[in-house]
Amino acid sequence: MQEKEVIIIGGGAAGLAAAVACHQKGIEDILIIERGDYLGGILNQCIHDGFGLEKFNTSLTGPEYAQRYIDKVANRKIPFLLNSMVVGLTPQKEVVVVNSQGLQHYRARVIILAMGCRERTRGAINIPGARPSGIYTAGVAQELINLRNYMVGEKIVVLGSGDIGLIMARRLTLEGAEVIMVAEKLPYSSGLPRNINQCLYDFDIPLLLSHTVVDIKGNGRLSEVTIAQLGKRGGIIPGSKRKITCDTLLLSVGLIPENELSREAGIVLDNITGGPQVDERGQTSIPGIFSCGNVLQVHDIVDNVSLEAEYIAEGVVEYLKGKLTKEREIKVELGNGLRYVVPQTLIRVKDVIFSFRVNQPGRKKILLFEDGRRLIKKKSLRRVNPAEMVRVKLSSSELEGIKTLKVKLV
Amino acid sequence: MEREFVCIICPNGCRIKVEYEGTNIKNIKGDECPKGKDYVKNEITNPLRVFTGSVLVEKGNFSLVSVKTPSPIPKKYLKKIGEITRRIKVEAPVEIGQVVAFNLLNENIDLIATRKIKKKNSLSF
Repeated sequence: MQEKEVIIIGGGAAGLAAAVACHQKGIEDILIIERGDYLGGILNQCIHDGFGLEKFNTSLTGPEYAQRYIDKVANRKIPFLLNSMVVGLTPQKEVVVVNSQGLQHYRARVIILAMGCRERTRGAINIPGARPSGIYTAGVAQELINLRNYMVGEKIVVLGSGDIGLIMARRLTLEGAEVIMVAEKLPYSSGLPRNINQCLYDFDIPLLLSHTVVDIKGNGRLSEVTIAQLGKRGGIIPGSKRKITCDTLLLSVGLIPENELSREAGIVLDNITGGPQVDERGQTSIPGIFSCGNVLQVHDIVDNVSLEAEYIAEGVVEYLKGKLTKEREIKVELGNGLRYVVPQTLIRVKDVIFSFRVNQPGRKKILLFEDGRRLIKKKSLRRVNPAEMVRVKLSSSELEGIKTLKVKLV
Repeated sequence: MEREFVCIICPNGCRIKVEYEGTNIKNIKGDECPKGKDYVKNEITNPLRVFTGSVLVEKGNFSLVSVKTPSPIPKKYLKKIGEITRRIKVEAPVEIGQVVAFNLLNENIDLIATRKIKKKNSLSF
């Protein structure tokens, strides 16, 4: 059994930022464990630009953004393992790793969960029909095209308007494929408005809202999908079915935080975010196990992943010094209009950054923070959109003396 | 003419309402930073986009290296540049920022690498 001060599971955007931030704060005995054969995780296949506007005040591609953190890790000589998969995690903070050396056992004083998320698949949304080849999740197609030099198809339908699907619609077009349409089951897009503009409208790719795929045909290779329009209650509108000839279907239908290890360790998860329930320091229900990035909640923007990861370093230092005490435990209650809030609990009076997602798009909304009948903070939001995470900071003076905390959108 | 633009410069995605005649902006609303105004100006005169894609690498630890134009190019050239990238080959090692093609279409459009590619089986970090 090897002992470490801090073990970080995952060497993507969150893991790298957490490692650098912990090292900056004086923690030297760190180990990053990465299952892929390079650091930077999914950023490496996100070759489009638009990353880093908040962190670095410039527009970078994914690989460039990753390299900035990889360089920091290298300069600080922070140790990492590649091609190493964590297969076990216990509440005692023991970690079982498998790699070409065989099984290895570690114990750490602090574990940082930074495993990211994975894509929902056809199975998760139950599309009926045949099971030919030519059906990919958008991220897998992205990896094949951008890293492995494998073109996925020529005539493409994208189901789901998540950001990766939109980005891939543009990418496939630039690689010479025909993207026939993007169909979205909801009456609004789940991707960022700027991506709808620069990825679809720039290339005259139609976005069909309230539409979904209801049948798949193909013997060997995909040959046809049937799409249908959905009514207000989500049922198929009679007579709206249309057959589309295509050889490829891309699914961009949501991301799931990858928490198998967290579950195994007995960490309490949030049903809505799919990530661990955390306090304002990013600490899970097991003291000394922290969580950040897409394994905690799916982000829209990598800059926020890095910021979240850097933010928890302070809590890690406090924990190692035995100073991360629970002064109290207040559950953050969720009111109308909001899908979730992170953190779910507060344990002390300190500045807190809350992240939210709203239930549906809207204009001129107000976010209210209340302690019983007392209004603590009010924030006007000109526009809200489930695709765009809302982040709000409350200062220690605003939170001073509260007994309960409820957040709602009116 | 009146039109609403969604600014693509940053993830805020400001909705910018513009009243304009030809290329002359008469009234602009909803731009939360100066970049928004510049974006709209370009959109109604000469829309610009950064091209990103990938080209083949030989003898590298990956078969592709991602590339971009160092600055935005006219939108109308995006597809043509995409076609050209399918015929370009470079040899490893490749550094970030290295020029992999220059003066494409005789329009002063360059492509630079956005990822570090090592030589296959090399032991360097």
